Amino acid sequence: MKPSWPRSLLAHAVLCAASLVMLYPLLWMLASSFRPNSDIFTSISLWPDPFAPGAYRRGWSGLQVSFGTFFNNSLVIAVLAVIGNVTTCSLTAFAVTRLRFRGRDVFFALMLGTMMVPYQVTLIPQYILFLHLDWVNTALPLVVPKFLAVDAFFIFLLAQFFRGIPRELDEAAVMDGCSAWRIYWNIALPLALPALGTAAIFTFIFTWDDFFGPLVYLNDIETFTVQLGLRGFLDSSGTSDWGAMFAMAVLTLLPVLAFFLFFQRTLIQGIATTGLK
Amino acid sequence: MGTIEIGRRALLGTTAALIAARAQAQAATRLRLYWWGGVERAERTNKTAELYTKTHPSIAVAGETVGWGDYWTRLATQAAGRNMPDVVQMDYGYIFEYARRGGLLALDSYVGKELDLSGFDAASIDGGKVDGKIYGVSLGLNSTSIVYDRESFDALGLAPLAWPVTWEDFATRMAAATKALKKDGVWGSTDAGGSGPALEVWLRGRGKEMYTAEGKFGASAADMADWFAYWAEMRAIGACVPPEVQALDKLDVDTSVLTLGKALVGFANSNQLVGYQAVNKKKLDLAMYPATKGNPKSGQYLKPSQMLSIAATTRNKEEAVKLMSFFIADTEAGKLLGVERGIPASKKVREVIAPSLDAMATRMSSYIAEIAPVVSPLPPPPPKGAGEVLTLLLRTNETVGFKKATPAAAGSQFLKDATDIISRG
Amino acid sequence: MAGRPTARRRGIPAGYIFLLPWFLGFFGLTLGPALASLALSFTNYDLIGTPGWVGLANYVRILTADSKVAESVRVTLLYVALSVPFKLGFALAIAMILNRGIAGLPLYRALFYLPSLLGASVAIATLWRTVFSGDGLLNKVLLQFGIHGPSWVSDPDTAIYTLVALSVWQFGSPMIIFLAGLRQLPRDIYEAASLDGATPWYQFWRITTPLLTPVIFFNLVVQTIDAFKAFTPAFIISGGTGGPINATLFYTLYLYQEAFGYLRMGYAAALAWLLVIAIAGVTALAFLSARRWVHYEA
Repeated sequence: MKPSWPRSLLAHAVLCAASLVMLYPLLWMLASSFRPNSDIFTSISLWPDPFAPGAYRRGWSGLQVSFGTFFNNSLVIAVLAVIGNVTTCSLTAFAVTRLRFRGRDVFFALMLGTMMVPYQVTLIPQYILFLHLDWVNTALPLVVPKFLAVDAFFIFLLAQFFRGIPRELDEAAVMDGCSAWRIYWNIALPLALPALGTAAIFTFIFTWDDFFGPLVYLNDIETFTVQLGLRGFLDSSGTSDWGAMFAMAVLTLLPVLAFFLFFQRTLIQGIATTGLK
Repeated sequence: MGTIEIGRRALLGTTAALIAARAQAQAATRLRLYWWGGVERAERTNKTAELYTKTHPSIAVAGETVGWGDYWTRLATQAAGRNMPDVVQMDYGYIFEYARRGGLLALDSYVGKELDLSGFDAASIDGGKVDGKIYGVSLGLNSTSIVYDRESFDALGLAPLAWPVTWEDFATRMAAATKALKKDGVWGSTDAGGSGPALEVWLRGRGKEMYTAEGKFGASAADMADWFAYWAEMRAIGACVPPEVQALDKLDVDTSVLTLGKALVGFANSNQLVGYQAVNKKKLDLAMYPATKGNPKSGQYLKPSQMLSIAATTRNKEEAVKLMSFFIADTEAGKLLGVERGIPASKKVREVIAPSLDAMATRMSSYIAEIAPVVSPLPPPPPKGAGEVLTLLLRTNETVGFKKATPAAAGSQFLKDATDIISRG
Repeated sequence: MAGRPTARRRGIPAGYIFLLPWFLGFFGLTLGPALASLALSFTNYDLIGTPGWVGLANYVRILTADSKVAESVRVTLLYVALSVPFKLGFALAIAMILNRGIAGLPLYRALFYLPSLLGASVAIATLWRTVFSGDGLLNKVLLQFGIHGPSWVSDPDTAIYTLVALSVWQFGSPMIIFLAGLRQLPRDIYEAASLDGATPWYQFWRITTPLLTPVIFFNLVVQTIDAFKAFTPAFIISGGTGGPINATLFYTLYLYQEAFGYLRMGYAAALAWLLVIAIAGVTALAFLSARRWVHYEA
């Protein structure tokens, strides 16, 4: 159903106007990263004048550890988190939607329940737990939970998509003598590819943007993530280098944007897979 | 290929970092040093720590730092886990909370041995005491201070704010400044009605205390009503910014109405001059908070800011105290640290670094010297709940500013709420 | 009866094997801390000292004597009621437009996702102030139309709406989920409907919407839970104060202030568990109602 061209023009006009609102903050950040510190709080224009490019150099090597280290740390943590979340959350979601066993609904309710507890209060007991495991000051508290399906948001997300897969498919597979594993691997996963892509994108972005976890669990600057690094330029009680913060914030957006652009292809591939039916 | 290579190296690097932390702990006594601050402070602090480990090869110092806004959340979490860093930077507003709950080590038994306080006068040592025991030692002295746009003052032909300017006089001069500016959206002063330090100076000028020695709130409902009325009047005559502008100000450098270019005068601390100047184009200067008519003394006091304390849970008490002593009393350390955290409390260190100070540091230093004859002694320590009272003050002043309460009603409501907060602890 | 897989023959249902990671995570990492916080809600725990038992005192105070609780509940409910429908409506509308096979789809999708990439970056606080303050961008635009706007972000009557705007502006996540859902819809139904001469409007209401209900339901539940727990927008934009005059004091922001600002972790834990009960109640209602309007399977 290709729309006719006047309507498509209208759609483009609406989308372009909306994009402008979406884009303004990014352009403003970009402009701010080229502004002297004394201009950042008072200017709303998108054109830095005077033009001060020094912030990128100050930002990259201004802290005692190069910003590249933070990029590496964040990348390792985010990629591991994606792998962990996508595998274990899809296993869990598959089990609670496509398999039958005792206590299934209770487990699913418990999963949803964990989404409701504000992290501000479980933070301390969890910190003490990880401290006893001797994991504090390592990336383990940020990564291991992802391999144990603790992020119920993703379980719920994938569950909703698995539920949409017609039951006749499993039934046919069971008749053919397929194991649960093969139904999961050969039928459910390929059909839920857009959902898996979505889960991968979100996990990467949420992990990349996470600040609270790294703040509490990472002590040494060599282990810092980009979000901790960014805050390193700011001290609201004293001297901050906002220019450097904005410059690095712009760079920090690039990997997430790249990841997003790359993985959004899986969302498109969804068209092809539903064609299977 | 390149990206995979980086990823692998990073992964190995991260893994290595995890192992390294433990290996280090075995090789030497590893002390964790934790402070808040920006880039320059991190550089100076790390260099000082390096200098120490050079002369003490059996000690490894791991520096940990975050900005002020996140500092206390992380410290509280670590304290809950009995995993506080060995040496922590401490603030006057928090030392009582941590010391009274048993989070900090009492230092009295180390004085004269591991802890060198020979260059300190009694007043600055008292600033680190909680209930009679020393829990923190100051890295830098400062005091509350008006930070103002001296350049615009001069250009507009306004007299500089030289001590003493009474509160009444301050109102008139700020109203005049707003008029002289002839600019929409810029006013003479910040609305400091929600600022705890400003209220404290004002109360002490009246012979009251913010908190009594018994830990009660020290002002009456009438005092508070007067205070809120003073700022209501300031707003009415256009001497300070209106409430919707003041509400943008989170009482820190980056959001202050001075930085936003909405006012010429801000209420701050003397050691923040450098921070304010970095984000302001006009030349700034320091001045004392207004004076009370008929009182030759100011309610201001020399505040031991940016103290160092030792965690009660440290496993290396002596070594931690020694490291701390190096930071506060060693002249070589003093040279590296400069006056970035305030004027060194140790006279010895002050004398050594004086010749090397730049213009801004010299101004901070001369300000502390100027105010010394007129300041008052340290006030009694704040009780538990003092931090929450500050939030209450901010909110109550907003309530009056947005005309949701009269100054008189706000005064009695504030007293009731503050008393409730303090009794709850 | 679907899925009686082969593992069953060996006695352990396959489901339990699939759930193994989750069992480990739930019992090893999640349950303990959650129960610990429940236990702490009956104490006066202050993070540094040892907790002392106070019975129901925290709960009694919250429910009878704490005026800030009432204020923060009001703010939070207003935020939930406004941000969830607007955000979801916006996300669904844009997703529908993007799903029409428009040229440049990946570009638009990325553009619309941009604000969500920023997350809770500290840059947002500065940005929001430059856009929504008295002489900010919005008022400059409004002035072109002769309207003098208030200082949106710092006026107690309007501050909450700037936070709603922030939430709606970051509509990227539900949009992506809607898009993924739309992508999964079988195309042959539409082709058949088109052949039968169904109007696009009819297709939207009679085909798309029913088929999309599992995804709509998911977004609704997740966004509602998130809005109840919303913390970061108010935290960064009000600088942690919830001001002006508590106009943006979200429930979880108040909880955070109590826990980490004033070191009353026991009290904060009690606040948290009352929130859990409230959210669980709302979610249970949503699941009950889902039986009437959510259709699984094509």
